[in-house]
Amino acid sequence: MLYPPSMSETLASLGRFGQFLGRVTWRLLTPPWNGSDFFRHTWTVSVRCLGPVVAVTFPFGMVIGLQGLLIFDMFGAQRLLPSLISVAVLRELSPVLASVLVAAQAGSSYAAELGSMRIKEELDATEIMAVDGLRWHVVPRVAALIVACPILNTVGNLAGLAGGYTMAVGVQGEPSGVFLANLWVFTQPADLAAGVVKTAVFGAIIGLVACYHGFYATGGAAGVGRAVNDTVVRATLAFFAANYLLTSAMFG
Amino acid sequence: MSHLRSALAWLGGLVWFVWDWARASIFRRPPAGATLTEAYRIGVQSLPVLLTISLFVGTNLALQGFKAFQPLGGQRLVGMFVAMAGVRELAPLIAAAMVAAKAGTEMASQIAVMRTREQIDALEVMAVNPAWFLVTPRLYAIVLVMPALTLISIFVTLVSSLSVSVFQLGLNASTFLEFATGSIRVYDLLAAEVKAMVFAVIICFVSCYCGFVSTRGPEGVGAATNRAVVVSCIVCVSFNYLVSQVLYG
Amino acid sequence: MDDAPIRIVDVHKRFGELVVLNGVSFDIPRGRTTAIIGPSGTGKSVMLKHIVGLIKPDSGQVRVFDTDMGRAREADVYRVRKRLGMLFQDGALFDSLSTGENIEFPLRQHHPELSVHERRDRVDEVLEMVELPGLYDRPTPALSGGQRKRVGLARAIVTRPELVLFDEPNSGLDPITSDAIDALIGHLKETLGVTFVVISHDIVGTINVADHIAMLYQGKLIAWGTRDEVTHSEHPIVRRFLGRNLILPHAGEPGPARLPTIG
Repeated sequence: MLYPPSMSETLASLGRFGQFLGRVTWRLLTPPWNGSDFFRHTWTVSVRCLGPVVAVTFPFGMVIGLQGLLIFDMFGAQRLLPSLISVAVLRELSPVLASVLVAAQAGSSYAAELGSMRIKEELDATEIMAVDGLRWHVVPRVAALIVACPILNTVGNLAGLAGGYTMAVGVQGEPSGVFLANLWVFTQPADLAAGVVKTAVFGAIIGLVACYHGFYATGGAAGVGRAVNDTVVRATLAFFAANYLLTSAMFG
Repeated sequence: MSHLRSALAWLGGLVWFVWDWARASIFRRPPAGATLTEAYRIGVQSLPVLLTISLFVGTNLALQGFKAFQPLGGQRLVGMFVAMAGVRELAPLIAAAMVAAKAGTEMASQIAVMRTREQIDALEVMAVNPAWFLVTPRLYAIVLVMPALTLISIFVTLVSSLSVSVFQLGLNASTFLEFATGSIRVYDLLAAEVKAMVFAVIICFVSCYCGFVSTRGPEGVGAATNRAVVVSCIVCVSFNYLVSQVLYG
Repeated sequence: MDDAPIRIVDVHKRFGELVVLNGVSFDIPRGRTTAIIGPSGTGKSVMLKHIVGLIKPDSGQVRVFDTDMGRAREADVYRVRKRLGMLFQDGALFDSLSTGENIEFPLRQHHPELSVHERRDRVDEVLEMVELPGLYDRPTPALSGGQRKRVGLARAIVTRPELVLFDEPNSGLDPITSDAIDALIGHLKETLGVTFVVISHDIVGTINVADHIAMLYQGKLIAWGTRDEVTHSEHPIVRRFLGRNLILPHAGEPGPARLPTIG
């Protein structure tokens, strides 16, 4: 959109999203559930995002190692490097990066799938066969992301730490024992729990935003492209905002 | 294994695509007038998103930095931490991720729609090289705009973490600024600009290539758009490590 | 037919397991209208894409203006393409440009010697020819299906090409609009006097404008000749395909069909 939409337009679309949110939440909490699709989507998302999450968190872990070493060298406190890496990866980087990639990979593919179903009138056909499209197509996808995000976050944690280890021990030649001994100085189990809660919330946000844009896509093939584009951007914005609020509440 | 093979084939195709573009376009003027229009679109489209995300990156850098340095009694170091992490790594990457998500996906979906509607074939048949016609203006535009967006991102990140440090965490503003400005060198800013240009080239070629090789129909457009942002992010983060290693290692 | 602008010599093409063209040969005569017909999925569009060089044959040659489109250098392929025009199925117009700018596009790209006014005159001239005068400023998305085809056709002929290709000019149109497009093609054929190649599975209108007909079936050329020769062919598939689609003027009479040997 080249020009910002008017206030009333923005409010109207927020209203539509609120309605969508209410209807999906209600169907998420009440049976019947579409269990087989839920498991299928959880599996597919986890598998499809696995590679991207590792491919992004690992080099990021290396970069933290690189820059952290530069900082701690100034104070002669290289010992603290592994603790910094684990704090940064577990508390912030892995949850955020894993979710960015889930938004980019799974969120956008949900928007694309539902969008092309809408364009090809498959969703209309579902409704005409008296099947609740939200219950059947949307709820399993949202639920799948709520579960898959924390799983991918765990993978991101491991890959990020591995990246830091590779940088510090493999490239810079820190002793491996020192690195591992200092890894957990500042991190607690609560940090891991916080990561799980955060990413589950992010997953819900991404799932809702993606399905909303796909489910209500209009305008042919170009409309599907637009839905995908809007999904990635708006889901990312929404969960970054949520991230600030959650971090403030948990650590502030 | 077949995944790996198809990924390698895809990368090979990307390299070929870049070579094909370069052969036809590198010494040729871009289509008249298109570059500035594209630059304006990319800049205007990505800016609001970038501002918002940079804002939240700044807030969380301050929160997490504070939380991490508190047990060491190093609250004063938050300014330095924010400046170094923000300028050297996060701001360029965040700008890249957002431009990939906004402008990159748009390039991919526009070109994929053109593929679907035979417009790329039409260019070929009208004896206009599609790579030159479609990629060149986008490439020059994004390379022009990304460094500026990165500087803006750096600025917003710093301002928002300053605000959080002062108003939410109760730190001293002048100490923060002293440590922050003390640890940003011109070299760091130049490095960030170099990164921005590298990322711009990556995003442009990856996104355009995704559009060019997309299959026809709405699924094809969706899949191309999807792939553009994921692959751009992965390649940018990997190159970020390489560039950091070269510039700071 | 010595100076045939298009010579197709034993072209084979397969996509994976699927054999699309299996040894097709024929020459398309200059200054006439040739229709390539056949049921869906028999390789008609693939044939057309070979002619413009978008697809390269696995074996055999597609020579357009004596250039082998499958093996020529890119610059030579582009040189050939500057001498032809093509109407795509849905027009393939650029939505970001207005109707007139779309038609002007090939002139802007390849004829920098023309002034703004000369270009505008050429565009108005072809808009007149496709019976859409004064539509220069209409935004492309606002055009109807029939108008898109006409604009696509205007863009194809604005460079005054020696060869014009039509990909399914009737697809997606209602019968009345479809007839109007056929009438327009017939009219342009007389005014321009250049070589036309029409790909279609809609026989009724196409046969009226065609001088020569090539029929493809399952990747092979099963009939080739003048309109009368083919419409009076005894080949069972040709008869079935045509019989469904048109009432022949002399349905009972056996015609002098000339069929190529099928290997």
